[in-house]
Amino acid sequence: MSAWFAKLNETFIASGYYRLMLDGFKNTIIITLGALAISIVLGSLIAVIRYLGEDVPAMKPIVKVLTFYVNVIRGIPVVVLLLIFYFVIMKASEGLVVGIITFGINSSAYMSELIRGGINSVDKGQMEAGRSLGMSRLQCTRRIIFPQAIRYILPAVGNELIALLKETSVAGYVAVVDLTRAGNLVRNNTYDAVNPLLLVAITYLIMVFGLDALLRKMERRLARNDKR
Amino acid sequence: MINVKDLHKNFEDLEVLRGVSVEIEKGDVMCVIGPSGSGKSTFLRCLNLLEKPSSGQIIFEGDDLTGKDIDLDQHRQKMGMVFQQFNLFPHMTVLGNLTCAPMMLKKTPKDVAEKKAMELLERVGLADKANEYPNTLSGGQKQRVAIVRALCMEPDVMLFDEPTSALDPEMVGEVLEVMKELAADGMTMVVVTHEMGFAREVSNRVIFLDEGVIVEQGTPDEIFNHPQSDRLKSFLAKVL
Repeated sequence: MSAWFAKLNETFIASGYYRLMLDGFKNTIIITLGALAISIVLGSLIAVIRYLGEDVPAMKPIVKVLTFYVNVIRGIPVVVLLLIFYFVIMKASEGLVVGIITFGINSSAYMSELIRGGINSVDKGQMEAGRSLGMSRLQCTRRIIFPQAIRYILPAVGNELIALLKETSVAGYVAVVDLTRAGNLVRNNTYDAVNPLLLVAITYLIMVFGLDALLRKMERRLARNDKR
Repeated sequence: MINVKDLHKNFEDLEVLRGVSVEIEKGDVMCVIGPSGSGKSTFLRCLNLLEKPSSGQIIFEGDDLTGKDIDLDQHRQKMGMVFQQFNLFPHMTVLGNLTCAPMMLKKTPKDVAEKKAMELLERVGLADKANEYPNTLSGGQKQRVAIVRALCMEPDVMLFDEPTSALDPEMVGEVLEVMKELAADGMTMVVVTHEMGFAREVSNRVIFLDEGVIVEQGTPDEIFNHPQSDRLKSFLAKVL
């Protein structure tokens, strides 16, 4: 046991590599939260436009473009997307920025689908009742549909967040020192493969467990406030 | 008040309405009867354009609702609708359900909207449920709230789409009672129903739809006591 502690000290503390690990941790959080923000904004926008545009002939081209966007993004592995953005589309940008934007865009496609799913799971009669009272489609969506859809959407957003967090582990491909990359660098420089990777894995695990617990709590609260 | 001219409605290849023309006058209580699949509900839903007619016109208070530049939302405010499945908003209290549309669309101040809602709730005997959520109500209570929700917009006409078909038998009466009072107050009503008793007793006009056309129309006495067509005779023999 004490031999292991000595090894840990050698690998992380004495070498000063704990700072690299902390930086990596910080970058993983930054990329995840930044990407989440983009994903939620972009995803909601896509979902709402596709939902509202369904019956409006003038919106058809936009809806088609958005559907195409979602399908294309979902069909390309995120690593490939990351490389394309870093080496082709955003050549002049820093890896961290490219990472935030790429993961945000990638996640937005999934996010829009799960928001759309939530909206569609609200009974059709709700929209009809609102429309029959004279509300516009937009007014109905905001006041009637969305408050009901959020109950289906929130848990799914949580799952997407967990997936997103783990996906950012490929950010190292574009020279970002995220948690995974940091651990790999330490492994490379210390010839200690076990402990850096173990630490990386445990850190992800703790974050995911934490998010999961938070989500469950939120779901319970939503269920408690559910007046149906 | 509502003039329906040669209304057609197809769902892809299926012709549900095949040329329905009818005029609904102010104060009319018109019941629409017919076998299931005859197009009754579709006909009703075309009146406020919840279903878009394939062809034909719906003239409501002088405006053609099927016209291109029509402000449908504005006209729908004057056409209340009651659904078979109630369609109350489950995330709002009863009072919230009633005041939401007037406050949003007519900019009625909250206290005025609530006062009006409470008066109407009182009339249907549900004032004590104002702060409950819809899921705590029985089917009959839900439907009465749904009627009041439509009335809160002060419509010129009320459309009822099989309002008692989803109710337990012992709750049908309380809903029909509210509708009778409404009719007695002079509200213009179009009612799609299987309640022949109600049609006979409350309506002043009955139309019998079958396979997307009006087979027969007339007063309740003409329809129920002196049916002309074989189709109506055999329908009545089954339901009465």
